[in-house]
Amino acid sequence: MNATVLPTTIPEYLEQLRRSLAGADPALVQDALYDAEEYLRSELAENPGKSEAEVIAAVAGSYGAPDEVADIYRDTEVKVQSALRTPPSRPAAPNRSWAARFFGVIAEPRTYASLFYMLLALATGIFYFTWVVTGVSLSAGLAVLIIGIPFLILYFGSIRVLSLVEGRLVEVMLGERMPRRPLYSERGKPLLERIKELFTDPRIWATQLYFLLMLPLGIAYFTVVVTLLALSLSFLVAPVLVWFGVGDAGVWIDGVQIADWSTWQLPLLFVAGGLLLFATLHLARGIGYLHGQLAKHMLVKSAQVA
Amino acid sequence: MTPVPIDVLDSHLRKFQKELSAGTVSLALLAVLGTAAEPMYGYQIAKRLEQEGEGVLSGKQSALYPVLRNLEGGGLLDSFVEPSVAGPPRRYYRITEAGREALTGWSAAWRATRDSVDAVLGDTK
Repeated sequence: MNATVLPTTIPEYLEQLRRSLAGADPALVQDALYDAEEYLRSELAENPGKSEAEVIAAVAGSYGAPDEVADIYRDTEVKVQSALRTPPSRPAAPNRSWAARFFGVIAEPRTYASLFYMLLALATGIFYFTWVVTGVSLSAGLAVLIIGIPFLILYFGSIRVLSLVEGRLVEVMLGERMPRRPLYSERGKPLLERIKELFTDPRIWATQLYFLLMLPLGIAYFTVVVTLLALSLSFLVAPVLVWFGVGDAGVWIDGVQIADWSTWQLPLLFVAGGLLLFATLHLARGIGYLHGQLAKHMLVKSAQVA
Repeated sequence: MTPVPIDVLDSHLRKFQKELSAGTVSLALLAVLGTAAEPMYGYQIAKRLEQEGEGVLSGKQSALYPVLRNLEGGGLLDSFVEPSVAGPPRRYYRITEAGREALTGWSAAWRATRDSVDAVLGDTK
């Protein structure tokens, strides 16, 4: 196979083009072949005196040789398509009915990311809290010794790294744009200057505060999500189990049944479970948004004040 | 100082032209179809642009076909197919209302860009 030899007939040209486009989207290949054939045949019709080979040789300069054309299609398709595509926004909120907005939450990936972040917050919260408390008390304790100084610097450096890590988590799961690089200002300065900056940067203090806050927040998020999800799912499932004769629905405290759901209450319970589930999803989104803002202000914004 | 090799300069130029043409081809196509009295097919559009000089296409006329299709996909053009005497049926394009509106906005953006680039370039030779 030698693609560099210029084809002499239109079918040969198209065959070469097809080969150069191997692996591309079949729809794109079809379009490219159609366009090339239209162009070549039109060119041929415009120049009745010339042979097919001559026309193709002339066209190679203006239209392009098959592999050039293939490249152009591959490039342009991607570039222009992404430039022309309307931004993937949610359907404009005012146009959507109240119900569509309320129930639509179940189809949005962001909802589940927020839910997962809230569950994960327990683990990350405990970790951050431990890290900061250990770091601060060890730094304070060791400060009187000579090894206290490098330890302190190391600890403050680790806060910066953790802040970036938390930023990644927040950006991926909550959709809030967070920094992807450390602060630029510390480059090219003498070491002592950079160390001094480490301690005078208000962001580093805000970050530690944020990490301490993550423990109570993480516990709260985790509890809220688990409780609400368990409650709404059991509301949804209990009536179904009763209808299938598998279970019995009621409220028990210490093995004593204090309430029994009668038959007409079961559908209500089911509906309430559904509503609660959607409300929980909305709550997760809301909390996700608020937490994103909190993270942004404590991990990023304070740096601008400095 | 050693002179920059000619082929390096050439590849820089080609890259620059490619980047330039990404947006300007769309604008030029809309403009051609916006002023055309009747629907045109790909080859005619290519020839029309060829008359105006090489600037827009920077050489390869095949580059405008994918752009035509994308403009159609974006609702700025619409097209229909008619049999032709020579060869396969031809796809004719014409501009839509949305296309005309886009053309107005794009031309304004283009003029603003051109003016500011000209101003920055000054009298660079």
